[in-house]
Amino acid sequence: MRTFLLSLAAMFMAVSAMAQVPSVKVENSKGEAFDTAQLLDEGTPMIISFWSTTCKPCIRELEAIYESLPDWLEEVDFRVVAVSTDDSRQLAKAKSFAEGRGWGSDFTLLFDKNQDFMRAMNVTVVPHVFVVDAKGKVVFSHTAYVQGGEVELFEAVKKSVRK
Amino acid sequence: MKKILPAILCLVFAVSASAEKKDWGYVTGSLESNSNVYVEDAVNDFYPSMQPQLKDGNIFASNNYLKVDWYKDRLSAGMQMEGYFPSLVGYPVAQNNMTLSNIYVTWKDKSYSVTAGTFYDQFGSGLLFRSWEDRMLGLNNALLGARATYSWQDKVAVKAFWGVPRLGKIDDNTAMMGYHDGFFGFGLADVQVAGADLSVSLSSLLGMDVMSLSVEGSVLNKHEALNDLLLAAGCRDNNIGWSGRVNMDYDGFFLKGEYVDAGKQIVSVPAAMNGRKAENGNAQLVEFGYNGRGLGLTVTGRRMHRMNQKIYNYVGTDPGYGSAANMLSYRPAMSTQYTYMLMTLNPYSPEIGDKVIKSGEIGGQIDAFYNFRRGTKIGGKRGMKVHASFSSWYSLDENGGTAGGGLLFRDFSFDVEKQWTKKFKSTLMYCMQDYNKHHEMTGLYIGQSHVVVADMLYKWTPKLSSRLELQYLASKDDQKDWMAGLLEVNLAPHWSVFASDMWNHGSTKLHYYNAGVSFSMAHLRVAAGYGRYRAGYICSGGVCRAIPAYTGANISLTASF
Repeated sequence: MRTFLLSLAAMFMAVSAMAQVPSVKVENSKGEAFDTAQLLDEGTPMIISFWSTTCKPCIRELEAIYESLPDWLEEVDFRVVAVSTDDSRQLAKAKSFAEGRGWGSDFTLLFDKNQDFMRAMNVTVVPHVFVVDAKGKVVFSHTAYVQGGEVELFEAVKKSVRK
Repeated sequence: MKKILPAILCLVFAVSASAEKKDWGYVTGSLESNSNVYVEDAVNDFYPSMQPQLKDGNIFASNNYLKVDWYKDRLSAGMQMEGYFPSLVGYPVAQNNMTLSNIYVTWKDKSYSVTAGTFYDQFGSGLLFRSWEDRMLGLNNALLGARATYSWQDKVAVKAFWGVPRLGKIDDNTAMMGYHDGFFGFGLADVQVAGADLSVSLSSLLGMDVMSLSVEGSVLNKHEALNDLLLAAGCRDNNIGWSGRVNMDYDGFFLKGEYVDAGKQIVSVPAAMNGRKAENGNAQLVEFGYNGRGLGLTVTGRRMHRMNQKIYNYVGTDPGYGSAANMLSYRPAMSTQYTYMLMTLNPYSPEIGDKVIKSGEIGGQIDAFYNFRRGTKIGGKRGMKVHASFSSWYSLDENGGTAGGGLLFRDFSFDVEKQWTKKFKSTLMYCMQDYNKHHEMTGLYIGQSHVVVADMLYKWTPKLSSRLELQYLASKDDQKDWMAGLLEVNLAPHWSVFASDMWNHGSTKLHYYNAGVSFSMAHLRVAAGYGRYRAGYICSGGVCRAIPAYTGANISLTASF
């Protein structure tokens, strides 16, 4: 146990955040295959939010982003990508859920039914958000959400543009 | 393992330290650690000394997962380590084990990819084949082998793989104790799986812009050297299954259909008839609905007959047969997955038809979501969201018909979410559940419960908020009435504190109390709590997690880099 924990501590000290968005096949809202590498094509910063229909904090966070988005977009040009991690039990429901909240008009909706993208981004629990700059580098990430936490997220988006 | 771990860490260190000077790609990873200290609690009927993994007076258990991936252009490689010191109560038993559980290398080009090592995959909805990891369940049936994929533009995609599922025996002593989850994913099953999948987008081939239409098909072969009893029952060493699927989407309307033939599946019969027989397994799944203009409507129907695909079949007393990890496909309950405490007391588990008297299930569910927009009469200034769901499931009789079947599960729920002011938001929810507690036997016992929930969120300042959940369950069955409450105080963006209690005042008079605190910052989240837990699903402190029944303290840490 001690060896394990010491080794982990050493690893965290050694590794710096340099992650990017890997190429993984997921589904778009029409059920078509979508390569996540295409997210970089537009060359603008983005928030990538991993969520599920059974995760209430995830929904509260995306709702908070949805409410604030019109004001935020007046300051910075960026996109929001909402990645559902629901498996095939909840997949169809997740699409209807997102539409029932109006997210489809403002967010890019992706569906990661076997959690391949989630694994590739090393997400262990949801909600987990990433801020990716225009070059595709992950510049900020955050696990969990408490009400009001979206302000910190937007600050990270603005910072990614100023870099 | 103690020598392997430092070596891997040195390698990671070397790569990451050099990465910024030379283009050696980048390293990313994650850590998850969940630890419990158990307390004897006679009221909760929980005794640490009675738990198979807690020996010699030990009251501490810890599950740990470390995953590291390296990406360099088209090449990626990674590994996952797991440590159990020992495994948490309620999880498959593991005694002080640390192992390198996953390791892989992948070359991925624009149109093709090749993977050697450990991988996960799924055909369609997973009814024919799914390999995946669910740490909360202690399930990881990854394949160790090779996989190749190829896609021609967005028109045709094909993949094929061969592998050995991850499944192994941990501890002979616990197996001899008759603990039927004595299997865990450390070893490899003596089983080989090979599969292929083809997907053709007709809409792309025919140049249809407004419609999306695709047809898909899969085939799967499982090889297992069976004993004479299973061969005599009608099983074969090579079991071939296949599926066909169609997906259509037109202007918000969607339709999905899937047919699965799972090949010969084992059915438990009375011991006088050798204990096993084989029947053909099959399933049909249909989903259709409409998404658009603020409305989300989904209708799902499914029939499953003898869908008992296991990695490992065995006649006798082998404890691995009934393990939750012994699974080669995904057959979930197609009903609403509730998260409020009192709505999860009687979750539905689908009838897969592995016993002779009931050969499967048939049923369906409907979900409707609607967003009353801002400025409308009902939506008011800030809009209002409503959701209704209904599902009903029946068992199939011995011959696959519905005549001799009975109700397995039925539920109806309705919820309304409304942002009243800038500071106050509420969700009101009602749920009715009918559940057949004896559905694995011939008898019929229907229990019914009605649950109401009020979930209220108030923002005192932009950073300080509180959330209050009040719940009541009314029932004339089982443990009768329950009530529950949860208060959560959040200080954004880092802190959350909560306390909850779930009280069965209708029968047992038991309290299931729980309090905790969590801190999250960037890649890191740490949470600690103490309570008496009933098996269920809890969402608080920013994260949802399934928990087994126990009493004690817990601390969890998740981090990514």
